[in-house]
Amino acid sequence: MANEILEEQISGEYKYGFVTDIEADNAPKGLNEDIIRFISKKKNEPEWMLEYRLKAFRYWQTLEEPHWAHVSYPKPNFQDIIYYSAPKPKVQLNSLDEVDPELLKTFEKLGISIEEQKRLSGVESRIAVDIVMDSVSVKTTFKETLSEKGIIFCSFGEAVQEHPELVKKYMGSVVPYTDNFYAALNSAVFTDGSFCYIPQGVRCPMELSTYFRINASGTGQFERTLIIADEDAYVSYLEGCTAPMRDENQLHAAVVEIVTHKNAEVKYSTVQNWYPGDKDGKGGIFNFVTKRGICLEDNSKISWTQVETGSAVTWKYPSVILKGDNSVGEFYSVAVTNNYQQADTGTKMMHLGKNTRSTIISKGISAGFSNNSYRGLVRISKGATNARNFSQCDSLLMGDKCGAHTFPYIEIKDKSGIVEHEATTSKIGEDQLFYCKSRGIDNEKAIGLIVNGYCKEVLNKLPMEFAVEAQKLLAVSLEGSVG
Amino acid sequence: METIVKLNTIKDKLIAEFESSKSSLFGDTTIREKALEAFSKQGIPGRKSEEYKYVNMELALKGDFAFSSTQKLSAKQLESTQFLNDAIVVVIENGKFNSEYSKTNSLPKGLQIVNISDAVSNDVFKKHYSKYANVNLDPFIAMNTALTSGGVFVHVAKSAVIEKPIHIVHVTAVSENTVLNSRNLIVVEENAQATIVESFQTVDSKAKSFNNALTEIVVEASAVVDHYKIQDENACLPDRQDFGHLISTTQSIQKKQSNFTTHTFTLSGLLVRNNLNMVLDDEFIESHLNGLYLTNGNQVVDNHTLVDHRKPNCNSNELYKGIIEDKSSATFNGKIYVRKDAQKTNAFQSNKNILLSDDGTINTKPQLEIYADDVKCSHGTSTGKLDEDKIFYLRARGLSEASAKKLLMHAFASEVVDTIKIDALREYVEAKISKRFE
Repeated sequence: MANEILEEQISGEYKYGFVTDIEADNAPKGLNEDIIRFISKKKNEPEWMLEYRLKAFRYWQTLEEPHWAHVSYPKPNFQDIIYYSAPKPKVQLNSLDEVDPELLKTFEKLGISIEEQKRLSGVESRIAVDIVMDSVSVKTTFKETLSEKGIIFCSFGEAVQEHPELVKKYMGSVVPYTDNFYAALNSAVFTDGSFCYIPQGVRCPMELSTYFRINASGTGQFERTLIIADEDAYVSYLEGCTAPMRDENQLHAAVVEIVTHKNAEVKYSTVQNWYPGDKDGKGGIFNFVTKRGICLEDNSKISWTQVETGSAVTWKYPSVILKGDNSVGEFYSVAVTNNYQQADTGTKMMHLGKNTRSTIISKGISAGFSNNSYRGLVRISKGATNARNFSQCDSLLMGDKCGAHTFPYIEIKDKSGIVEHEATTSKIGEDQLFYCKSRGIDNEKAIGLIVNGYCKEVLNKLPMEFAVEAQKLLAVSLEGSVG
Repeated sequence: METIVKLNTIKDKLIAEFESSKSSLFGDTTIREKALEAFSKQGIPGRKSEEYKYVNMELALKGDFAFSSTQKLSAKQLESTQFLNDAIVVVIENGKFNSEYSKTNSLPKGLQIVNISDAVSNDVFKKHYSKYANVNLDPFIAMNTALTSGGVFVHVAKSAVIEKPIHIVHVTAVSENTVLNSRNLIVVEENAQATIVESFQTVDSKAKSFNNALTEIVVEASAVVDHYKIQDENACLPDRQDFGHLISTTQSIQKKQSNFTTHTFTLSGLLVRNNLNMVLDDEFIESHLNGLYLTNGNQVVDNHTLVDHRKPNCNSNELYKGIIEDKSSATFNGKIYVRKDAQKTNAFQSNKNILLSDDGTINTKPQLEIYADDVKCSHGTSTGKLDEDKIFYLRARGLSEASAKKLLMHAFASEVVDTIKIDALREYVEAKISKRFE
C-alpha cells in the first residue's frame, strides 16, 4: 500500500519544468577576471563595484569548497557555467504592455499573473513584484506607489546606479565576501537581485516580492538581495523560485542580507521550488545560499520563514545576528525532500545583545531516497544577559529508504541565558491515520491533513497569499507518501 | 607554525616509540601495525577537527612525554583510591596490571581476571580483542591499540552471576610527563551478569600524565552488565586542579536481549574526554547511558556518545547532566544513529546543564541520524540557571539562599546519582557532591 502510493508520488512531475523560448544574451562559459569585468561592464557599474568583485574573486580562488554538510553531489565545474545570461531584448520597461509576451506567458505559467496583481491594485493585500529571470531583474511592479512613501524597491543593478551610497554602506556588512566559499563566488559574479530600503517610520503598505527563475541552460544564477529597514520601519518580503527541467545540475548561489535599525522589523518568507531533479536523481538545482540578517540596533526583529520543496541539493542557513538589545530573531522552516533530494538546512542565532530572544521551529519531511538534515547553531556570547532561545526540530519519515538528521550546536557563555532544544523523529502515527479513516476520510486526504497539521506552526507564519501556494505545494509534493 | 612542528614531534615520537618497543609489546603485531598506520593518517586532532573542536588536544600533548613509567605505588597511596568496601579489586598501575595489589586470587566461580598480556592465546580473547573499537574512527583508539602495554582481560562465563562488583582501579603516579595507554577487554557470556566499576585517579602530581584508557565490553545474548566510570583524577590531591588528563574510551557491543547500562561520573581532572561508543548489534536490546559532570576551575570536560542502532526492536535511553562553575567548560556531543534495518527503535536522549558562573561555557550538540522510518527518536537539551521561583519557594520556607541553592543542585544531580545500584558507590558519589557544593 505504502509502496504503491510512494511510487505514484515519486513519479509525480515537476509542473514548473517548462522552458521559455526567449532569446538570451549570454556571456561565454567560464570564470576569470575578464568575465567579471564583462559582467561589470554589461551592468554599467562604477569602478568601486568592479573592485569589490575582483577582491572577492581573488579571495575565492584561495578557498576550497566546503564539505562538512551532510550532502553528497558531484563537484560543480566552475569553469563550465555561464555566469551572465540576460533575456533579450533588454530594454527599459515602463508598463506591462512592453514586456515580451513570451515572458508574460512564463509568469502566467508560474501562477504569478502580474495582470492579476494589477487588477488587485485597489485592494489591501497587494504585492509588488520584482522578477529576476536567469541573472537579471526584468520587471519591478508598483514602483511608483512605493516611491511615494519613500520606499526604494528596485533591482540591485538599478540600486548600484541610483543609490550607490546605500549600497556601498550596507553591501557586505552582514555577509562579507570572506564569509564562505559560495558567498565569495556570489560577491564576485552576482548579476542582479533585489534591493529594498524602507525609510524611517514607514510601514510598507504591501508585500514586496521577488520571483527568481533560471531559464537558460548551462547558466548559474547568482543574485543578491539587500534589505534595509531604517528606524521604526516594517516590511514583509517574499521570495519564490522555479527553474525548468534539465538533465544537468545548475548552480544557484545567492546572498541575502538584511539590516534592521532601531524598532524595525523585517519578515522574510521564501517558497523555494527549484527543479529538484527527476525521479532517478538526475538534474536539478544545487541551491547553495547564504542568508543572514543583523538586528543592528535595539528592539528590532528579523523573522525568516521558509518552505523548501525544490532543489536537488540544498545548503542554506538563514541566520540572525542579535546585536541590538531586546532584539528578536525567528526561524520557521518546512523542508520537504523526495526522490534523491538532499537538504542540509537550518539556522544560526547569534545572541550578542541583552534580553535577546530567538525561536527556531523546523519541520523536516523526507520521502523516497532523500536525506533531510537540520543543522543549527545557537550561540549566547558572554554579556548577552537574559538571552532566551527555544528550538524545536521535528522530522517526519515517509518510507524506509530516506533519512532524517538533526545536528544542533549550542554554545553558551552566559549564565543568565536559557536555551531549550528538542527534537523528535517519527513517522505519521497509525492511530492518527486510523482516526481519520474511521471518519470516512480517505488515505490521501488523511495524510494531507496530518502533514498540514504537522507544518501548521510554520505555514501560519507565511503571508496569506503565500500560505495558500505553500499548502498546495506541500500537497503536490507529498500527497499520499505514507501508508 | 610553532604548534605544527611540536605536533609533528609528538606524532613522530609515538611512531618512533612504536618501532623501538614493538618487539616487547604483547599480542598480535599486525593489529598494532594497522593501528599505527591509522594513527599516522589521523594524527593528533587540532581545533579544526569537528570531533575535537572544543578540547585542545594540541595543548594537552605539548612538551615531552615518556610512554611508560616504572614508578611504584605505595600501599598507602593505593589505599586512598579505594572506596568500595566489598569488591573484587583490580589495580591498573600506570597503565599496567599490578597482581600484587589486585585481589584476584580467589575469584567466584565463572569469573576469570588475568593480565591482558597473559590472555593473548585465549580463544575468547582472540575472538573479541580489537574487533569493535575502530582504529580508523578515532586517533586515540588507534594510539591505544598500537601502543598499549597493559590492562586486564575479564571473562564472565556462561550463566555466571557475579554478585560483587569488579572494581578496576586506574591509578597514576608518574615522575616525568607520561602518556599511558591502558587497555581492558571485558567479555560477559550468555545469561551472565556482572557489575564493573572503573575509577580513574592520580596520586602523584610531580609530572603531567596523559591517560588514554580504552575498555571494550562485549555483552553476549541475555547478559546483564552494569558499568560505572568514576573519573576523579584529583581526588587524592584536592589542592591541585591543574593536572590530570584523561581520554577514556568505552566501546560496547551487545547481542540479543542483553541489557547494558553505563554511568559516567566526572568529578575532577583538568581535561577529561569521554568517548562512549555503543553498538546494538541484535534485536530486543536495552541500553542505558547516564552521565553527570561537575566542573570547576579551568576544567574541560567533553562527553562524546554514539549509540548505533543496527537491528530492529531495541531501546536506548540517554541522560547526561552537568553543573558548570568558574572558568570551566563542558561539552556534550551525543549521536543517535539508526540504521536502515533498525525499525521499531525507541531512542531517547536528554542533556541538561546548569551554568553557575560568568566565565563558564557549555557546548552541546545532540544529534539524530536516522535512516529507518518506523522509529520513535527524540532528544532534548536545556541550559539555564537555577530556577528563581524554586529558590524563592525554599527561602519563603526559611532556608538561606545558599542552602536553597545547594538543595536544588543536589536535586538536579540526584536524577543521575539515583541510577547507581551499588549502595556504597552511590553514597560515595553523593558525599563528593555534597562536599563540592559546601
